[in-house]
Amino acid sequence: MKKALKVLAVATAIAVSGGVAASAEALKVGVAAEPYPPFTAPDASGKWEGWEVEFMNAMCAEAKLECVLTPVAWDGIIPALTSKKIDMIISSMSITDERLKTIDFSDKYYNTPTGIIGTKGVDIKPTPEGLNGKALGVQVSTVHQAYAAKHFAPAGVDVKEYQTQDEANNDLAAGRLDAVQADAIALKAFLATDQGKECCDYKGDVAEDVAVIGPGVGVGLRKGETELKDKVNTAIKAIRDNGTYDTFSKKYFDFDIYGD
Amino acid sequence: MAADSLINWGLLSLNAPGWGGVLLQGFFNSIQIAVGGFTLGLALGIGGAFGKLYGGPVLRDLLECYTTVVRAVPELVLILLLYYAGTDLLNQVLALFAIGPVDISGLMAGIFVIGVVQGAYSTEVLRGAIKAVPAGQIEAARAYGMSPTKVLRRITLPAMLPYAIPGLSNLWLIATKDTALLAVVGFSELTLVTRQAAGTTKAYLLFFLAAGALYLALTLVSNVFIGMLERHARRGFAVQR
Repeated sequence: MKKALKVLAVATAIAVSGGVAASAEALKVGVAAEPYPPFTAPDASGKWEGWEVEFMNAMCAEAKLECVLTPVAWDGIIPALTSKKIDMIISSMSITDERLKTIDFSDKYYNTPTGIIGTKGVDIKPTPEGLNGKALGVQVSTVHQAYAAKHFAPAGVDVKEYQTQDEANNDLAAGRLDAVQADAIALKAFLATDQGKECCDYKGDVAEDVAVIGPGVGVGLRKGETELKDKVNTAIKAIRDNGTYDTFSKKYFDFDIYGD
Repeated sequence: MAADSLINWGLLSLNAPGWGGVLLQGFFNSIQIAVGGFTLGLALGIGGAFGKLYGGPVLRDLLECYTTVVRAVPELVLILLLYYAGTDLLNQVLALFAIGPVDISGLMAGIFVIGVVQGAYSTEVLRGAIKAVPAGQIEAARAYGMSPTKVLRRITLPAMLPYAIPGLSNLWLIATKDTALLAVVGFSELTLVTRQAAGTTKAYLLFFLAAGALYLALTLVSNVFIGMLERHARRGFAVQR
């Protein structure tokens, strides 16, 4: 019994010290554990790179936060945040009303149009009529899935859901899909690869629907952590103002990714 | 050189730009989970088997529930349940005792889930094996005045081993492959890093074949050890053809 108590005491001490240390230590920034170029993708040494990784580094440096990138499965990234496995989400997550019910967001840090790509030579338009009877791929639990479910599925479009964007793109290249809807920049990055060049081309942007697509991409935060939210918002504004944002963005894009 | 352009072997080299190092690290993580999960499962299985055979009615019923429920629910569901809901629950319980939140790493969650699942299966394997030990041997040991733990250590465990090894080796091989399920929670084991490597380089065939070869190599090496273990456990048995 004495021994058991001792073990319990030690375990408690470790748990407590671990808990205290964790709050003072680095913040875990969740990113979807999948290649999503040009925003986040692992390189051959297992290191993550891309525009969003540079944004994270710049933002955290500005806010004097110590951030550690932590890959998490995309479809479990919100539970991971709420169960405190991670402290922030920087993974091209659009700010939507639906998500705001569960988590909080910083101000947007980029905003890009939503587009549709399709098999070359096939007549596809990014409208409900233009996609009628076609198979459209979207990534699960994204604004694109919500958009397709609202606008395309009722109009007779066969909407198929994929765990990762990469899988949807591959099925398009393999001919199992006629079109894929996603963030225009991620799609253009795919079209620039050998695989994308061969199979597909850009069919156009979809019509706006701010209620579904949201005002842009923000840093996902737990509800009630206003102090962290303020820090993040201040830092985003600061790197926008002092030119850091433009400096690293120029390496990836020839236009202003922040939107208006 | 058509073959060279079809498969770019350079992608498998150990240092960047090759992905071999990442793959091996993922493979190492998979083995860690498999070994940890199997060991935990074996411990649970031994306890469970003896509880089912010699325990009181309450313990027996509880163990029956455990083996039935765990064997009925897919491992994938158990992993998702424990990793997301389990951590949340644990932290809420800990918060009641005013202890700060803990983080269950992917490794710990993986070992725990695979251990619990393996425990249920190995309970049944070991229970069968123990029942196959001739009752006379255990009676004889008791007649010599051995204590229950001594009977366990000297007679029951060694005597049941030949009957348990085929079932347990099956479970070990299943454990090595169950590690792939951890990919769904974003833990960097072999399957997830393979998917990332394949997705980034678009060399799907190469990387999935490489991952398959690694899993196969693990099985082949395991088979050698299982064979040695089985020969050792069956020493003194008549050779069966």
